[in-house]
Amino acid sequence: MAKRNRRVGYGLPVVLAIAVHVVALLMTMLRLPDSEPTPSSSSVVQATLVSDVTATDQAQYAQEARARTAQRQAEEAAQAAAEQEAQEAARQAAEQQAQEEAQAEEAGRQAAAAQEEAQAEEAGRQAAAAQAEAAAQRRQQAAEQAAAERAAAEKQQQAAEAKRQAEARARADAEKKRQVEAAAKAEAEKKRQAEEKAKAEAEAKAEAKAEAKAEAKAEAEKKRQAEEKAKAEAEAKAEAEKKRQAEEKAKAEAKAKAEAEKKRQAEEKAKAEAKAKAEAEKKKAAEAAAKKAAAEALNNSIANEQERIANAQQSDQASNSFINLVKRAVEDRWHLPANADNGLVAQVRVRLGPSGELLAASITRSSGNPGFDRSATQAVEAAAPFRELQQLDAGLQRRFRDFNLKFTPGDIQ
Amino acid sequence: MNDSMSIPHLIMNASLVVQLVMLLLLAASVASWIVIFQRSFALSRARKAQKAFDERFWSGVDLNELYRDVPENYEAQGSEHVFRAGFREFNRLMPKTRSSEAVLDGVQRSQRVALSREEDSLNANLTLLATVASASPYIGLFGTVWGIMGSFQSLSMAQQATLSTVAPWIAEALVATAMGLFAAIPAVIFYNRLSSIASRLLGEYEDFAEEFHSILHRNLQGRGGNQAA
Repeated sequence: MAKRNRRVGYGLPVVLAIAVHVVALLMTMLRLPDSEPTPSSSSVVQATLVSDVTATDQAQYAQEARARTAQRQAEEAAQAAAEQEAQEAARQAAEQQAQEEAQAEEAGRQAAAAQEEAQAEEAGRQAAAAQAEAAAQRRQQAAEQAAAERAAAEKQQQAAEAKRQAEARARADAEKKRQVEAAAKAEAEKKRQAEEKAKAEAEAKAEAKAEAKAEAKAEAEKKRQAEEKAKAEAEAKAEAEKKRQAEEKAKAEAKAKAEAEKKRQAEEKAKAEAKAKAEAEKKKAAEAAAKKAAAEALNNSIANEQERIANAQQSDQASNSFINLVKRAVEDRWHLPANADNGLVAQVRVRLGPSGELLAASITRSSGNPGFDRSATQAVEAAAPFRELQQLDAGLQRRFRDFNLKFTPGDIQ
Repeated sequence: MNDSMSIPHLIMNASLVVQLVMLLLLAASVASWIVIFQRSFALSRARKAQKAFDERFWSGVDLNELYRDVPENYEAQGSEHVFRAGFREFNRLMPKTRSSEAVLDGVQRSQRVALSREEDSLNANLTLLATVASASPYIGLFGTVWGIMGSFQSLSMAQQATLSTVAPWIAEALVATAMGLFAAIPAVIFYNRLSSIASRLLGEYEDFAEEFHSILHRNLQGRGGNQAA
């Protein structure tokens, strides 16, 4: 025994035995890297790519876009309303000023009899003109501000407030004018009373003279020539006075007419200016409206485009989600046969009814393993019906009524 | 076949008892293969030596020459060992006794001892192979049963008993049985093959021993006749 062992040592057998085991182990390990690359696409059902953005995100984006457009529209509406208010305020101010001017004119007409009143009117007119100019300047400023402040509605509101304050100031000025006019009227009435008194005194004097004449006639007819002379003189004097008064009246009337004409011209000018301003404002408003409309149209078109893109992506994702649902349902019900190889690939054509019920599941590309093919069709049959099909759009439904499922045992354990 | 179900992965994830069983089976397998290779080489060499000695013995060479013509530290094996043991005993007994019966009895005894040693050396370690061949399936089965016990214990705690929860446990348990069979099958095959070779060689040795014994007996009969005559 000892001699035998010495002749045939254990070194080589040990090496060979270990080599046998290493080879056996390598065979078990080397088979795995060979088997892994074959199922390159580990997905059981081939589906189109899903982008990283989910459908809900897209919906949120669309909603945000809509909210943005709505905000824009609201801002524009607020701007338009503020501008309208400003325009109305300006119009009201213009009307008030026109009324004030008209009142001033009326007052001027009433005071036309008196020249002093005319001066007062002139002062009033000047004041009104100055105020009108100031108001016009304010209006222009306001209009400029309104034009500049389309971006921010708050500033416009401030401008509107400023206008309102300006209107209030204008109203206060108008009240002052009215008070001044009232004072002028009161003075004119006093003057009239004084004139009436003077007339009454003159009449009284005339009566007294007549009485004195009658007495003189009655007392002494001798002095008739003298009296006649005196009468003629008195009459002449009265006529002269009357003529003078008539002349003065005619002069005053002419002056009043001239002033009235001047006033009318001034009013017409003011009206024309107001009209021109109103037209300018209207034009500005129209331009602004046109700009707004263009901007809105652009925004709307952008929003529509975004929505359309979002809708397209959503529909894509809806279809993908449907495919994924089908895939998951089929995978869950797929019992892989025990002898299935990793390299097996079977393609099953699935035809669905309108409500997602399975019409037919047929093998279009066999894997060569009948058991594997049967398991694939059985999985589809078990997973049917696919009710989610009804939730898709009509076009997508038509697209997914007939599709292929590719079965690879890659990720099924 | 998933990566998590690969055999090395399963071995690494198995429980300690199953891993120990697997280690034992691996050692048994390695040992059986060492024995297989060593015995194969040794038996093939013994057969070559047997063939060479047979040719030389039956070539008509003088037995004294055959006995003396050996190199230094030469240890004979097989039928040569039987021949040398018998011839040495014959040469030692011949001067001491005149009885041919006693000489032949001594030669036969020494040849039996030599045959027994040859049988021992031929069957050396084949018992290990037989043990591995018979015991490793049971050891592997023990590992499998233990692993399945563990899998059912873990299954009792699981909410849902799906195939995927049981499968890894059973797979790693069955690896033990697979390893037991992996060790046992070559051991069985090579034990049968090597033991048959050894028994055939031993049969040849016994045949040679009988033939040598008959030659010695013939020589002694002639000498006894000469002595008697």
